[in-house]
Amino acid sequence: MISAEHLTVTLNGRDVVRDVSFWLRDGEMVALVGPNGAGKSSVLKALAGVVPSEGDIRIGDAPADKMTVRERAKRLAWLPQTRPVAWNLMAEDVVALGRFADAPAPFDRMGEADRAAVVAALDKADATHLIGRSFQALSGGEQARVHLARLLASPAPVLLLDEPCAALDIAHQLALMAALKAEAAAGRTLIVVLHDLELAARFCPRILVMQAGVLVADGAPEVALSAETLAGVFGVRLDAKGRLERASP
Amino acid sequence: MSRLTLMLALVAALLFAVSALVGTAPLPLGDAFAALIGQGDERVRAILWELRLPRAAAAFAVGAALGLAGAALQGLLQNPLAEPGVLGVSAFSALGAVIAIFFGFAAVNSFAVPLAAILGAGVATLLLVFAASRGAGSVTLLLIGIGLSSFAGALMSLALNMAPNPYSLADLVNWMMGSVANRSWADILLGAPGWIIGAALVFLAGPGLRALSLGAETATSLGADPRRIRLLVIGGTSLLAGASVATAGTIGFVGIVAPHIIRPFVRHDPQRLLIPSALLAGIILMAADIAIRVLPFQQELKLGVAAALVGGPVFIWIATRLGRASS
Repeated sequence: MISAEHLTVTLNGRDVVRDVSFWLRDGEMVALVGPNGAGKSSVLKALAGVVPSEGDIRIGDAPADKMTVRERAKRLAWLPQTRPVAWNLMAEDVVALGRFADAPAPFDRMGEADRAAVVAALDKADATHLIGRSFQALSGGEQARVHLARLLASPAPVLLLDEPCAALDIAHQLALMAALKAEAAAGRTLIVVLHDLELAARFCPRILVMQAGVLVADGAPEVALSAETLAGVFGVRLDAKGRLERASP
Repeated sequence: MSRLTLMLALVAALLFAVSALVGTAPLPLGDAFAALIGQGDERVRAILWELRLPRAAAAFAVGAALGLAGAALQGLLQNPLAEPGVLGVSAFSALGAVIAIFFGFAAVNSFAVPLAAILGAGVATLLLVFAASRGAGSVTLLLIGIGLSSFAGALMSLALNMAPNPYSLADLVNWMMGSVANRSWADILLGAPGWIIGAALVFLAGPGLRALSLGAETATSLGADPRRIRLLVIGGTSLLAGASVATAGTIGFVGIVAPHIIRPFVRHDPQRLLIPSALLAGIILMAADIAIRVLPFQQELKLGVAAALVGGPVFIWIATRLGRASS
């Protein structure tokens, strides 16, 4: 489980996240949605401990600010929105980094159990065939799947994903969301930043909506994505056929 | 130990032996072996133990230290052109040593030069990491390195300009050009603490360097503390570069060339790069030191000059390839 109370993130003197509170139980999969600049990525970064924040964050019942970098990494894995890889590492070595907090070794020097976990994660991300390939020679979608596998290889009970569907074709988007749902069913807690509201509503039983740094809605898709929220936050509405269209053309 | 490391270690051992045999007075293998175990002609023993072996050891140690420092700095700054020489660390280190020599500290305490060299290297590395932590990109860091080198160069020129007598001037110039000729075991013992502690610090940062490949923020989320990695690498490379400059003056580029050659053989892994890069750089410097003894020049070519003559063009070649890859 993971919770935030009165979470505020200040970047360059501006509050990009203001007084956000939520509580997620084990096995819950939540979509975090909102227009560009709403503060979604900053919430994930604050939870991951990579930007300073105010307020209380608890991960698995322990206060996050008392944890060392490594302790936090054992409880929580984060997939950032931008994912640089400085060197032309092997795909499986990138995935192996997902287990760094427990096993800081490259793939071929890991123990049997860790290596099996890496291979299983590659399989879940439909990326097993990328073993032995250089990361920088992969396509954008293949790179995205390797990063996803890196996250799934982590034994952490909490997963934070920032726009995991970007760069994926529609079939892989659906496969990804199904894989994430399976992780939640297995007991992991997930927060997934998504731009596709239909995908969010379809796969996530609960949706958090942010606007201008503030949490404005929290609930089941039909509640959180009400007509008022759609119009007020996203500037869209449902047309007669149930498709989203701009509220004021 | 990987096969690559083993192979490089064997080549290094072979070159070490060759280095002991080659010079203005070539030693026959049998005589050299007798001298090695303390027998045979006294002059041969003196040449081997007092001149050749310390020289070979100095060449290898300095090369290995610079190769290790280069590989570690490249991992930290995520830039294949990073190296103590290019980033101005060696120049600042040399400046520290020159100050120690110029103001006479060197005559007072034999540790003054290595300590001043390490301190100089530390100052430059700290400046670079401060700039990097404030978001300076690779190009900016290289530009800062150029600035640091020029500034340190100007201050050293000032020291030369004000040198009290022609002998100390010649001393400074000789030393600044970089050489391992006439090094004694005492010189190597002086550098040893810096090399050993520096290498240990860098190896501690090894796994973190691989995590850092995904950027500082992701590395943090993986459980690798970038601040700790930075401290280890800065401390380690300052000690490595400082001890090397104190022993051999400034020798550039070997720290770039060795990791660049090794990288494809170690799956581009910044951690696995460390030991083979150190070995290869040690090999390169020993080979260069043998070459300048064999080349038929009236005056022996300085090792630092030879390294720059070969390393400079290679640096330009790597930089051009990088430019093409990023454009």
